[in-house]
Amino acid sequence: MQRDHIWWQTARVVVLGGFLAFAIFPLYWIVITSLKGQKEIFSLPIRYWPDEVTLLNYVEIFRISHFQVYIWNSFLVSLFASALVVAIAMLGGYVLARFSFRGKREVMFGFLVTQMIPIFIGMAPLYVMMSKMHILNSLFSLILIYTVMLIPFCTIIMSGFFQRIPNALEEAAMMDGCSRISALFRVIVPIMLPGIAATFIFAFVQCWNELIMAVLFIDEESVKTIPVAMNAFIKKYDIEWGAMSAATVLSVIPTMLLFAFCQKYLVEGLTQGAVKG
Amino acid sequence: MQTEKPIVVAKEPFVSPPKKPFRLSREGAFICLCLLPAVLFVGIFTYYPLLRGIIMSFQNYTLFNLLDVRFIGLDNFFAVLTSPEFPRVALNSFYWVAVSLFFQLLLGFALALFMRRRFRGRGIYQAFVFFPWAMSGFLIGLIWRWMFNAQFGVINDLLVKSGLIAAPIPFLADGKWALAAVIIANIWYGVAFFAIMILAALQSIPEELYEAAAMDGAGRIQQFWSVTLPYILPTMLVTILLRVIWILNFPDIIYAMTNGGPAGSTHIFATYMIDKVIFGQDYGQASAVGVIIVLLLLVFTVFYVKATRMEKGGDF
Amino acid sequence: MGVRSWIFAALQVSIATALLVGCSQPAANSGQTQPDGAKEQAGQEVRLKMVESITSPQRTALLKEMLTQFETKNPGIKVDLISPPFEGADQKITQMLMAKEELDVLEVREFNAKQFSMNGFIENLKPYTEKWSNYDQLTDVAKRRATWVDNTPYYIPNGLYQRVLYYRADWFKEAGIEAPKTWAELLAAGKKMTDPAKNRYGYSFRGGPTGWDYALIAMWAYNGTEVDPSSAFFLKDGRTLFSTPESLEAMRYYKQLYKEISPPDSVSWGFQEMVQGFVAGSTAMLIQDPDVIDGAKEKMQEGTWATAPLPIGPSGVAQQVVGGPGWGMTAYSKHKAEAWKLIEFLSDPEQSTHFAKKTSVIPVVKSAAEDEFYKTGYFQPFIEMNQQPQTFIDVSRPVDYKGWGAWQSAADKEIQSYLLDQLSAEDLLKKWDEYWTKERAERK
Repeated sequence: MQRDHIWWQTARVVVLGGFLAFAIFPLYWIVITSLKGQKEIFSLPIRYWPDEVTLLNYVEIFRISHFQVYIWNSFLVSLFASALVVAIAMLGGYVLARFSFRGKREVMFGFLVTQMIPIFIGMAPLYVMMSKMHILNSLFSLILIYTVMLIPFCTIIMSGFFQRIPNALEEAAMMDGCSRISALFRVIVPIMLPGIAATFIFAFVQCWNELIMAVLFIDEESVKTIPVAMNAFIKKYDIEWGAMSAATVLSVIPTMLLFAFCQKYLVEGLTQGAVKG
Repeated sequence: MQTEKPIVVAKEPFVSPPKKPFRLSREGAFICLCLLPAVLFVGIFTYYPLLRGIIMSFQNYTLFNLLDVRFIGLDNFFAVLTSPEFPRVALNSFYWVAVSLFFQLLLGFALALFMRRRFRGRGIYQAFVFFPWAMSGFLIGLIWRWMFNAQFGVINDLLVKSGLIAAPIPFLADGKWALAAVIIANIWYGVAFFAIMILAALQSIPEELYEAAAMDGAGRIQQFWSVTLPYILPTMLVTILLRVIWILNFPDIIYAMTNGGPAGSTHIFATYMIDKVIFGQDYGQASAVGVIIVLLLLVFTVFYVKATRMEKGGDF
Repeated sequence: MGVRSWIFAALQVSIATALLVGCSQPAANSGQTQPDGAKEQAGQEVRLKMVESITSPQRTALLKEMLTQFETKNPGIKVDLISPPFEGADQKITQMLMAKEELDVLEVREFNAKQFSMNGFIENLKPYTEKWSNYDQLTDVAKRRATWVDNTPYYIPNGLYQRVLYYRADWFKEAGIEAPKTWAELLAAGKKMTDPAKNRYGYSFRGGPTGWDYALIAMWAYNGTEVDPSSAFFLKDGRTLFSTPESLEAMRYYKQLYKEISPPDSVSWGFQEMVQGFVAGSTAMLIQDPDVIDGAKEKMQEGTWATAPLPIGPSGVAQQVVGGPGWGMTAYSKHKAEAWKLIEFLSDPEQSTHFAKKTSVIPVVKSAAEDEFYKTGYFQPFIEMNQQPQTFIDVSRPVDYKGWGAWQSAADKEIQSYLLDQLSAEDLLKKWDEYWTKERAERK
């Protein structure tokens, strides 16, 4: 192993600390704002620590809006959409990795092109479609559209993971009498678990934060997700910063927790399958 | 001493739309079945709306008069391309993508390099330093807008207090600064993605390669050039392509921070499109802008793939 | 065929659960977009769907209260209220109409009334208003809004949004001056108040979205009675507003407002920032609609602020654009009779005044002028202005012109360019003059 000079170590600390400060400062600011009273938020000079710490904002959002409902809705939507995407992406990714067939390039290119499409171009037609399907104002519409939005990227990622795992593994299983699919689920998936988890987390975070489609399809209180509810804090002449920051903090905690606990998977999942020796 | 290939996805030159294989063998059926959900979902809910959108771009579809929607050929495109704002929008889009990408890549890379070695609390550290990625673009825009506010904003406050500037800078009101401000917010957001991807790639480099290089007398810097970079290059190239596409199509931050202002100095194609829908009420022209975005990205991808394929030697 | 079963099983489980979740969501008391409208008549219950546009928690709560009253008075009719977030509500409503979403009563704004009617979205209410006893209870201003499209009522206004001058009574007292009555006085007063070192400015300038509106107010005040009230971008003699030397003067004045008495970053200020600036104590004056009153009452101390009529121009008059949202009916509604009942209820003078009081808007019925609430206090200047229609002239913008939408979005940027010295006043006015001359020509 290389030796670590002292200057290298201090450089490391400084750089890592710097990045942390840069990343965290806005978070700090939101948390502070969420703990300030209404009057303090708009007062000068700016206070970096509230004169009076208050949990009023948090109480407010549960009182005025049914924030717990939104949290639950967001959770359901993100969970199911991510699960669905992972399932679909696994199947698709598997065949993309293992086989070459006519049309494969087109499929992959087709997926890539979807990323180039700006959301707004399809909004009106999508709205009409959802309306005709009578699933407007239901969580299902979001689960559906989020799944669709995430399929391309996740399928490609999955296929990348599958590529890392040598054919030998499932071939061995198949020779023992398994069908391809059972081989897939019994042998490969366990090894790929980190990769699957990584994809799931990525999808989950995207769903959790999605605003545009949610606002488009959901109007009904009982079905709102967190971003829709937060959008409502933008009133005519005021952004209710107190409520908005409290809501932000609450909505960011689950994703941060997810990141924290599954960080291993997220990063290692992407390296999973590297065979040494 | 075999090492697995890192994630690589090669993008082929422009070919006709996706087709499923026509083999009727058992394997063929299996492939079809596995791909069916993906292709079906994407086809119905992404390509079909796109198609309708493209049709709209050839129509005079404005909310002013929905009863008289006709085909007007390329009129929308001409209108958009020759409008006085277009050069600015194009230029802004270029800066937006290029500058954001450059710094996101640079900083993400640096962060990944420094995070490579395990250290105590790295898990927690990761949760915090990658946290920007967990936020929605719109919210990020709002928060940074508040932070850049000339009177109540933290940034001005800090700058003034530290003596760097004498009076608060109206960042979002000044054409020169506004674009920089939104780009900064975007960099803040995107560093995490690069860091995660590159860190993953770095961690997959087998130690043996470094040991071998060290034995050959290579110093730290040289190891970086001869081992690290080549190994992660494929990952980086793919990530860069993806990010270019995603950044160009990312209106959320700008929309929330400046809505394209002041005086259109922060409008990019994507926000310009939104503007056309909401203020201009002109779906036809907005769709035309959308089509232009897709075409630009297609062209870019083709060139990019061709240019980088030679280095990768092709894969997939 | 183990292959198939595995895949289908996996997919089925996911989809089934998703469906279960999705379909179980809509709670009993919220309406779903199902085409049961017609079928429900069998059970003698009609469900109306209503959507509001100027959403706020208080307003929604108030509406729900009023709707409950309506339901009690009209057994057999239930109303589901949809309240999209304020930001983008009109967009949402437009989408709903375009998709022919099930909807019966909607909030129509004066700037989309024409569009909606032209596209066949909203119903002509004349057959109903002819039989309505309270129609003449509406003030002239309100009636003008209702019948703006082809002189036919397409919606019944529920409140009026007019602008008034808010000012820091305490600062003015300190400086020993009175509230300004003219634009010239406003500039002078503002200069006295402006002290950048203390972060104090004279005026909450609106340079951001829809900032051109304020430039127009200035131009109108300078051109006075020459302006054609029915299409205020034009003069009575047919020329555009932008072709006169008075307008040039007005624009120069307007820039002075920005440069000399407003915070520099107000060039991108929108509604929120303007109000924030005033309420948080950094500007002395604000011209805005009555929505501000509630927030100001909450955030500012009594006695530190007050309202006054709009400043008058050198011509001796001031124009005002009166916003008048209201309730309309969709042309494709399956329950038009019931929908009208609802509109009628909400527009009943008592209900309507109650609504106006609680949502801080100017009432649409004549009887409200006698109400104590409006005779004194912060609302008084509004009533005062409405009682002097010769001085405070009610004008309409040309929202019914084809090029209105496109002009709006370009105008925002052009005004900003002008304020930032990138475009001269002459060039700006010339642009607008050419644009609207063309529009007028094409209209014939």
